Amino acid sequence: MIELKHVTKRYGATLAVSDLSFRAPEGQIVGLLGQNGAGKTTTLNMLTGYFPPNEGQVLVNGMDMLHNPRECKRCIGYLPEKPPLYDEMTVEAYLRFVCELREVERRAIVAHIGEIMAICGLTEVAKRLVGRLSKGFRQRVGVAQALCGNPPVIVLDEPTVGLDPRQVVEIRELIRQLGKTHTVIFSSHLLSEIQQLCQRVIILHKGRVIREADMAELTDGGDKVRLRASIAMNEEKLLPALKGLDCVCRVKVLPATEENITEVELECDARSDRGDPQTQLFRLLCGLDAPLRMLAPQRDTLEEVFLRATADEA
Amino acid sequence: MISVWKRELQSYFYTPVGYLFMGVFLALSSVMFYLQILSQRSSDLLTFMGQISYLWMLLTPVLTMRLLAEERQKRTDQLLLTSPVSLTGIVLGKYLAAVTVMVLTVLLTMVYALIVAIYGQVYPGELMVGLTGFVLQGCAFIALDLFISGCASNPVSAAVMAFGVNFALWILDMVELSVTAPWLSGVLSFFSLYARNEPFLMGQLSFASIGFDLSFAAACLVLTIHMLDSRRYRGG
Repeated sequence: MIELKHVTKRYGATLAVSDLSFRAPEGQIVGLLGQNGAGKTTTLNMLTGYFPPNEGQVLVNGMDMLHNPRECKRCIGYLPEKPPLYDEMTVEAYLRFVCELREVERRAIVAHIGEIMAICGLTEVAKRLVGRLSKGFRQRVGVAQALCGNPPVIVLDEPTVGLDPRQVVEIRELIRQLGKTHTVIFSSHLLSEIQQLCQRVIILHKGRVIREADMAELTDGGDKVRLRASIAMNEEKLLPALKGLDCVCRVKVLPATEENITEVELECDARSDRGDPQTQLFRLLCGLDAPLRMLAPQRDTLEEVFLRATADEA
Repeated sequence: MISVWKRELQSYFYTPVGYLFMGVFLALSSVMFYLQILSQRSSDLLTFMGQISYLWMLLTPVLTMRLLAEERQKRTDQLLLTSPVSLTGIVLGKYLAAVTVMVLTVLLTMVYALIVAIYGQVYPGELMVGLTGFVLQGCAFIALDLFISGCASNPVSAAVMAFGVNFALWILDMVELSVTAPWLSGVLSFFSLYARNEPFLMGQLSFASIGFDLSFAAACLVLTIHMLDSRRYRGG
C-alpha cells in the first residue's frame, strides 16, 4: 500500500533521513519507533507529501507521490505532531472545510461529518470553537480531520504526546479501532505504546531503518532462543558443561535465590543440528545428574530489542 | 481552491480582521470625503479616489498578514499541503478571499457616489473608470503583500514588512519626481503603482495600466507559489 524506496532528506547540510526503505502493508497498524531526532517526523512528512525527498520515491498504491500528488494525497489522512487546527472555527465548520478540501461529495458531507464525530467522540462539542477545546479534544479533532474523505491510510505523528493518562488510553483505543478498518502508520518514542498497538514495527535510528519486522518476530528473537534455567548444581561444575553444549552461544549467570541452586540465562542457536536447545540441555543435565528445577523460554521485550538495536548502531 | 477561498473569507469575519479593515477604511475615507467633497462643495469623485487610493498602502497589510504567515507559524499549512489541492489553488484561494473583502469594501464606498449624485452630478462612465483603476491598484497591492506574508514567519512581521514595502513604493514615487536622469525617472515611473493609476484618475480607460496592474499581481502570485514550492523542497 505505502512504500518508501531509498528515500533521503537533507535540511541544508544536515542529513535527516538517509536511504530509507520500508513498506506498510495494507490493513496493519505499523509503528515507527525511534528516539527524538531519529527522523520519524521527517519520514512521515515525506510520506504524506508535505515535502518531497531529495532522493528516492514515495509510492502510494503504486503511484509516485511526486508525479501523482493529488491521487496519492487523497489516499492518506495525516495528523501531524501539532494538530493543524483553526482556532476561530467550530469543530463542525472545521471538519466541513477539511471535507471540502478532500473533495467529499457535497451532499454526503453532513452525514460523513456526523459519522466521524461519532467515531471520535466529538458530537457533544460539535458547535464549540476549536480554540476553546481541551488538549484531549483538540487531539480528537486532529484525528477526526485525518478521517475526512475516508482515506484508506491514516498517518499519526506522536498522537499521544502531551495528553493526560486517561486521554492517552482513549486515543490508543481510537487508534486500535481505526486499525480494524484502515492501514495506520504512527510514530512514537513510547515503546509500550508501540508494543500495545502495532502489528509491525520499524525502528529508526539516526535517519536509517535499523530493524523492520512483525512485532511477534521482533520479540521472539528470530534464530536465537533465550532460556532461563534454575539448576541444582554448583556453578563451577555447571558452567563449563553448559558452555560445551553445541547450541549454547552465551551463558549469563543470574543472582541465585537459593543455596546450591544456579540460575542461568542461556542464549542458544535455535537451528542447531543436534535438536532443539531445550532437549539438548535436558539430556546434558540428566548426564550430569543435575536436577532441573525450572526451565522457561524468555521473550525479548520491545525495550530490549530497541536498546540492543540502537546500541549495535551506535 | 473554492474551499480555501470560502474558509479565508469566513475567517475574515470570524476574527476582527475583516471588520477592522472595513471599519478603518470607511472611517478614513469618510473623513477624506468630508474634506474633499462635502466641505469643498465639489463633485470631483476621481480626485477623491486618487486620494483614498493611498489607503491601500496602509491597509492591505492588514488583509494579507495572516494569510500565509499564520499558516506557517501555527503549522496549519500541513493540512493544506497534505490535502489533494495544488499550491496554485491554495495561493489563488487566499488571494481571491482578500480581493473579495477589498471589493466589498469598495462597494460600500458607493454610498459617497450616491450622496454626490443626490446633490450634484455624477458621470457613470467616469466613475466606472475611476473604480476600475482603484480596484486594480488594490489587487496589485494585495498580491505584493501576499508574497511578503509568504516570506514572513508570523503575521506581525508580515504586516510590518508589507507596510514597509508599500511605503517604499510610495517614496520611490516621490523620488521619481526629483530624479534628473530621464532614464531613471522613466524606470521608476514604469514600475510605480501610483503613477499607473493616474490615467484612470483623468477618466481614461488605460489598457496599458490595466495590463500593468494585472501583470504585476500575476507576477507576485507566481513568485509566491514558486517561493512556497521551493520552501517545500527545502523541507518546510
